[in-house]
Amino acid sequence: MEVHLDDRSPFRVVRLSGDVDLHSSPRARQAILDCLRAGSPVLVDLSGVSYMDSSGVASLVEGYQLARKTRVEFGLAAASAPVLNVLRLARLDQVFPIHPSVEDRLSRG
Amino acid sequence: MAAHDAAIEVEHLVAHYGSRKILDDVCFTAHQGEIMVIMGGSGSGKSTLLRHLLGLNHPTSGSIRLLGKDITRLDADQMYDLRKNMGVAFQGGALFNSMTVGENVELPLREHTRLDCNTIRIMSRMKLEVVNLSGFEDLMPAELSGGMIKRAALARAIVMDPRLLFFDEPSAGLDPVASAELDELILMLRDAMNMTIVVVTHELESAFKIADRITVLDHGRILMSDRAEAVRQSDHPRIRSLLDRTPRSDSVDPEAYLQRLTREIS
Amino acid sequence: MAEHVPASLVIALGQRTVQSVRETGYLAALFIEALYWLALGRWRRQPVRLSAIVRESMHVGVSAIPIVALASFATGMMLAIQGIYTLRSFGAESQVVMGIALSVTREFAPLITGIFVAGRSGSAIAARIGTMQISQEIDALRVIGINPVRYLVSPLLAAMLLTLPALTVLATVLGLGGGALYCAWGLSLPPEVFFDRSFDVLTTTDLTHGLLKSTVFAVIVTLIGAGNGFNVKAGAEGVGRATTRAVVLGCIGIILADMVFTFLTSR
Repeated sequence: MEVHLDDRSPFRVVRLSGDVDLHSSPRARQAILDCLRAGSPVLVDLSGVSYMDSSGVASLVEGYQLARKTRVEFGLAAASAPVLNVLRLARLDQVFPIHPSVEDRLSRG
Repeated sequence: MAAHDAAIEVEHLVAHYGSRKILDDVCFTAHQGEIMVIMGGSGSGKSTLLRHLLGLNHPTSGSIRLLGKDITRLDADQMYDLRKNMGVAFQGGALFNSMTVGENVELPLREHTRLDCNTIRIMSRMKLEVVNLSGFEDLMPAELSGGMIKRAALARAIVMDPRLLFFDEPSAGLDPVASAELDELILMLRDAMNMTIVVVTHELESAFKIADRITVLDHGRILMSDRAEAVRQSDHPRIRSLLDRTPRSDSVDPEAYLQRLTREIS
Repeated sequence: MAEHVPASLVIALGQRTVQSVRETGYLAALFIEALYWLALGRWRRQPVRLSAIVRESMHVGVSAIPIVALASFATGMMLAIQGIYTLRSFGAESQVVMGIALSVTREFAPLITGIFVAGRSGSAIAARIGTMQISQEIDALRVIGINPVRYLVSPLLAAMLLTLPALTVLATVLGLGGGALYCAWGLSLPPEVFFDRSFDVLTTTDLTHGLLKSTVFAVIVTLIGAGNGFNVKAGAEGVGRATTRAVVLGCIGIILADMVFTFLTSR
């Protein structure tokens, strides 16, 4: 799994790619939580994710929880079918703000 | 259904209990993302077959390949790694009675991963949500009903997102509604996570509802291992009597029968 | 000669012997495996957790303190009563202190502690593991990838090896205390004189002798309890049988080991 950080003002975009599994998800979690703790709103770009297990989803949940506590925006973007399936299994697709793409969210200002 | 690579391949499996042959030349294959139902009456050897698939018993001969690895030849370390990809829900749940439901579900993660405590807690709660047991994590297993115990055991079995899930008698001892819910859950898991699921059952209705393929065991031998539809239309007399719930009426072989009655009597 | 003994008796005796040898072998293997995980578990990704050892220590050791204390105190007193009564006929009742000091330290403290822990914990271990066996919890541990011996037996063995010697020290002190109390009343011997004289006759060998015994007893109680639990085959009745067996065999094992140990070290 690769974690790529990008500044797309006002957002910090955390781009994940590859397999987000038990081994790699702690890195994703750390990146997301770090950005949020620095106070910036976060978009997690999932377009490159081929597989995500529930440790990955749990990391997203933790991020969203922290964002709500600190009142900054947190969203997912470009969730692929395998990711959506896992989110849907725990009905989390109804919880997260999921955008079609990062650009889509940015264009809405 | 995704790629058709074999997730489980059993070849010429023979198993004994003492001197009694329980499994005789059992062969079958289950593909990735498929629900395989192992069906048979009591004494058919289906529980023994499951124990062998789980690596709890060692066969007399034959091979069992799970995700491409022959578990009859793996050493302890390799088996340990393979077990991270296997989830098992036992018939009676087998929840650890000294732990809460939540601790039960978290246990595989605590043993196998170094994830953060919060991540582990969220993951186990997510799985309890999936099986409709949200908010029950602080109860002890003794405080749950039979159906809830089975669902909690399922949550523990899937908490590591295994590629193989084994489920022993999901509907045994449950009312029809609870058992139908479990069937739905099994289908949902396969669809969402592309798991290969092996279900051992003697419940026909549930078997045909969930199965992609059915393996019928009788007296330790495989009568048939085929697509559910083919099994339903089979005209094999023993399978028909299983499907039509007629008591068995096979003819008696006098020689063998007498032999059984007088064995070890001189 | 042989024709007077029914053949079935010989067969039964033979089967019993084979079974005993097999069981002893099984317990020895269990012991080695439990030690193996304690020593090397950390490097085999199966660590024996300190928290588990502490928890077991509370169960088998700390909560046994009241009963062991009471029993050893009463035993010390009983030895004093009996000793004074017996020695009075020789006019040698002042020698009772030496008798009490040696027998409590070398013999009674470890024995009483061992028997009580066998009764309390041996049965509890067998019942717990036996119940887990029939409810498939042991299978569940194995399929999760947790070695049942590492998870259930190793922490218990460590806890027993830590707490039984500690309990034995406590039992020694209280046994001597019981003796001192009765001597103060029966012989008008001040307790401080009793303890002074006791420490005059006692050597460190006597104490290590008692402690060594208690470690042997710790191993016996753990293995017989756990072994009987793992071997439960069917149903609640099987668990009941296993607990009874664990207590009876545990006590017998302790007494036999004590006899052998005393024989070897007292010559």
